[in-house]
Amino acid sequence: MSDVDELETRLEALTEADFQRGLEVFRSKLKEAEAAFLNACVHCGLCAESCHYYRMDPVLENIPAAKLETIAAVFKRHFTTMGKVAPGLVGARSMDKDMARAWVDAVFGRCSLCGRCSLNCTVGILLPRLFRAARAALGAMGLTPPDLQATVDTALKHGNNMAITREDWVETVQWIEEELQMETGDPEARLPLDKHGAKILFTVNPREPKFFPLSLQASAKVFWAAKEDWTLTADHGWDLTNYGLFNCKDEEAGLITQNLVDAMARLGCETLVIGECGHGFASARWEGEEWLKQGFPFKVMSILELMDEYLRDGRIKVDPAKHPKKVTLHDPCNLVRHGGICEAQRRVLRASAADFVEMTPNREHNFCCGGGGGQLAMGRYKARRLNSGGMKAQQIRDTAAEVVVTPCHNCVDQLGELNKEYKLKVQIKTVAEIVADALVP
Amino acid sequence: MNPLLAGVMLATIWCAGALVVLYMRTKAFGVRQLHSRPAGDARAGVRYAFTQGMAPQAKESVRMNPLSYLAGMLYHTGIFAGLALLGLKLSGLGTPRVLGIVALLGATGGIALLGKRMFKAHLRGISCPDDFVSNLLATGFAALAGITCFLPSFASLWLIETIALLIYAPLGKIRHCLFFFPTRYHFGAFFGRRGVLPPTA
Repeated sequence: MSDVDELETRLEALTEADFQRGLEVFRSKLKEAEAAFLNACVHCGLCAESCHYYRMDPVLENIPAAKLETIAAVFKRHFTTMGKVAPGLVGARSMDKDMARAWVDAVFGRCSLCGRCSLNCTVGILLPRLFRAARAALGAMGLTPPDLQATVDTALKHGNNMAITREDWVETVQWIEEELQMETGDPEARLPLDKHGAKILFTVNPREPKFFPLSLQASAKVFWAAKEDWTLTADHGWDLTNYGLFNCKDEEAGLITQNLVDAMARLGCETLVIGECGHGFASARWEGEEWLKQGFPFKVMSILELMDEYLRDGRIKVDPAKHPKKVTLHDPCNLVRHGGICEAQRRVLRASAADFVEMTPNREHNFCCGGGGGQLAMGRYKARRLNSGGMKAQQIRDTAAEVVVTPCHNCVDQLGELNKEYKLKVQIKTVAEIVADALVP
Repeated sequence: MNPLLAGVMLATIWCAGALVVLYMRTKAFGVRQLHSRPAGDARAGVRYAFTQGMAPQAKESVRMNPLSYLAGMLYHTGIFAGLALLGLKLSGLGTPRVLGIVALLGATGGIALLGKRMFKAHLRGISCPDDFVSNLLATGFAALAGITCFLPSFASLWLIETIALLIYAPLGKIRHCLFFFPTRYHFGAFFGRRGVLPPTA
């Protein structure tokens, strides 16, 4: 059975008990802030153009306020007096099969949780917070798109979301180490595995060992140049991704986060460094401690911040002339708008590339590439994902850049698809790849 | 005491009381305890949210819809002028015409926004009856406040309209007069804590 059929079958089989369970979970995810948000929308509609889905397909369903109203209608009906007394007046709707279907379409099918609408909301509603609550409720009703759920299940079962075995991971690391030694001419260049007491535990996106080994090699080369005391772990805890951020089942997200915490404790490292991944950074830096309901006894930072420190402290030196091509930067939403890492990557790129040009808009106002929010893992929405990425494609074209740099492997994948779909003819690279190529003794 | 003025007083008490109840019900949802270490200053984010963060240069949505923004600003200014006039009226201090003009301008903003909601399909699509009722009541309030400054015989009608507005305010979307503030606060605190706002560049 296809994912589409499976979800539709589940929708048809929903019972009153499912709706009640969904509503209970939805209610449990709401705090004072979210309750205020749900009372604050004035339906001005000015958020419409802030959404890349709406920009590329200006239909009613793509307006952020329309997506929000789908959620708010159920909130009003079940949790407010006016919604119970005069539902028609205030637009309240009961949770039923039609509404569940509308929720799935709105929060999984038409939203990458990028949060650009929040910045442009006249009131300031943090819409992704409400959409995450809705995704959690749908999950409780068994309505998480199966392919998205499968990604989480794989991570829970195998310790990484691509089911890479320990043997394959270790072999890949050793192979990249040999490549690094050849590239640097230094037989002592290492990709340390399970080095107890190392200052830094470095984590990567499984796409790196699986599809982009040069990306991991680039990060390792930067560590080598900086003479960093770092390690990878051979066991669970090397995968920085956490699709629990997208299926919004906090318990599962917490279990995945626990892999990182356990690896830090096992190896006794001081700092957890997150490789180039937007949602991985947001998960580890901002959400992980909330999922586990306790603070980490270690520091979490992005490799972008680390490379920025290396340059500032003179631990690495780069020659921008090694990158004469025009380079632009795509800001991953979870790293920038939701993560607060805005300037480090810019300082690093300005130092490492001769011709760096910004997209417009940029930083916290950037447009999502379309691959966020778990969209890359939900095949049923592929056409919408690629269409919504048209905004990013246009931004890239406007810069006339030959190289698009992005510190996120999900964005790399989406930009790669946009490159083909919109015939952009650009190279897609990570920041570490740019820095590694620009390194000088 | 004029029964209409008494009615306004009672309606004001109802409105304030109901808004307090709504706020308390929201507070009852509880506060989210945060464990991650801040990267920025939540208070700076809140200050930004209530100041520069509301300016057109901070919002693409406003820059792309300048007429709607202007209408909205006029509308709200007019409503506040109407409230000021109401306060003066209740205090027996008269109704200055300059405020009346502001209220009338505000009403034109309200009418413009109502027209937009009626005739733009997408805006109609995200609207429910409450949106129209709320607009009509608030626009009527501003308009009658302005008219009364020039034609005092409209005072009774204005006060009746005021009573209706105050009774309805906590029941529909006019409640955003309260929830705007906690929403804006949480917006600023969230982005401030994460070091996103105020913007660095």
